[in-house]
Amino acid sequence: MSLLAFRRVILRLAAVAAATVFVLPAVAQPVSAADASKLIETVAAEVIEIVKTKTGADRQAAIRKVLQANFDLPFMGRSALGRYWNGASETQRSRFLAAVETAEARAYSERFGQYAGQTVTVGKVTSRPNGVSIVDSQLNQTNGQPIKLQWEVRNGGQGPLITDVKVEGVSMVMTRRSDFSSYIQNNGGTVEPLIQELEARAAR
Amino acid sequence: MKRKAHRSLVAMTVAATLMGGCAVNDTGAAEVWDPIETPNRFMFSINRAVDIMALRPVAVIYRDWVPEPAQKSIRNLLDNLGEPVTAINEVVQGDPNRAATTMARFLVNSTIGVAGLFDVATMLGLERTKEDAGKTIGLYAGVEPENGGFYLMLPVIGPSNARDGTGLMMDYLADPFRILTFNLAVNWDVWQGARYGMNVIDYRSRTIFALDDLEKNSVDYYAAMRSAYTQNRADLIRQKREKTDARSELERRDNLALVR
Repeated sequence: MSLLAFRRVILRLAAVAAATVFVLPAVAQPVSAADASKLIETVAAEVIEIVKTKTGADRQAAIRKVLQANFDLPFMGRSALGRYWNGASETQRSRFLAAVETAEARAYSERFGQYAGQTVTVGKVTSRPNGVSIVDSQLNQTNGQPIKLQWEVRNGGQGPLITDVKVEGVSMVMTRRSDFSSYIQNNGGTVEPLIQELEARAAR
Repeated sequence: MKRKAHRSLVAMTVAATLMGGCAVNDTGAAEVWDPIETPNRFMFSINRAVDIMALRPVAVIYRDWVPEPAQKSIRNLLDNLGEPVTAINEVVQGDPNRAATTMARFLVNSTIGVAGLFDVATMLGLERTKEDAGKTIGLYAGVEPENGGFYLMLPVIGPSNARDGTGLMMDYLADPFRILTFNLAVNWDVWQGARYGMNVIDYRSRTIFALDDLEKNSVDYYAAMRSAYTQNRADLIRQKREKTDARSELERRDNLALVR
């Protein structure tokens, strides 16, 4: 093979590689351990502050802001929809993401409604080869055993963002994914009934 | 120098292609195996009816009306009765030292702790562990801990699978207290019944918040619970395996992240 042809092959392969890198959102800039744990500490502090000072609709709106600023909600929604994401139209996708965002904001503000002086201790950070950082932490309760919390932090281009929370080994995204996929399968195999159900719940 | 650059480019390309391949083939997020879903869902609906009408209200009353110290003592008593089974499992899991600590806890709490009502052992620095035969099987099974055989909805007890259901049966058969009451031929069945009943109420009272949350925030409660149960059990087994297991949960998650 002449050097020129070889170079052309290399260039073409490089183009393919570049395209793959751009297509795959999972291949992101790595998040440093310090950044990841700082993000979790900031979010925990912000949420505790909101829960202490705000109630009702105010709290929900404030929690929603924290979610929007620190969580990669589109990424989480996409993961939760799994393979059905590809089959959804552009409008269905945006309707789905909006409904999921409302649902998550409501769920989190209700969860924190039970706040009774818990604190979050951030532990070790594990960096994964694909640029994702897993932050171990503990929710210390005033009575009873501490609850194990793990946060998945990745950088999809807009700085480090949280993409999953695991409570005692139960991943929120994985559970949603199972939940949604079962609902879709039992309702004709399309995403439309799921989106309508989520929208109806968001409107309540 | 130039050739070196070329080589690294080729390596990068190959790596990128491989990763792309992963995204297509390795889902890393197989659904829970549930071949008897229809009977399971039927049992689930019966369980829910019983839960809504009887179990949950009793658990709420227990949580809100029974004074906290009394709840704690009941919890300690039930935990203490479960220690021998934990110790047996720890021996089978190949951790006799931990089993000895558990038995020391049992002896201390049964005597100084007034038949287990007070957890003196923890104050003495003997930490509590809880093991069951489902975890023991999972430790040796040699499959991903997410794979516990077919999913199984048990009456009253709730979510389980082939592995944990078998484990439950083994724990029941190995329980010294059950054997003791059986051999003494004394009519202690009532006490055993009370013990299992209290265990159910106590457990339900501590899961009110989590289960309400799961129900409210899911579109298919059955599927959400199936997933949450499987993940939680897998996490417990993984903690046991961590010392020996190379393919970790994190690696599995890496693959999941690539799925679309």
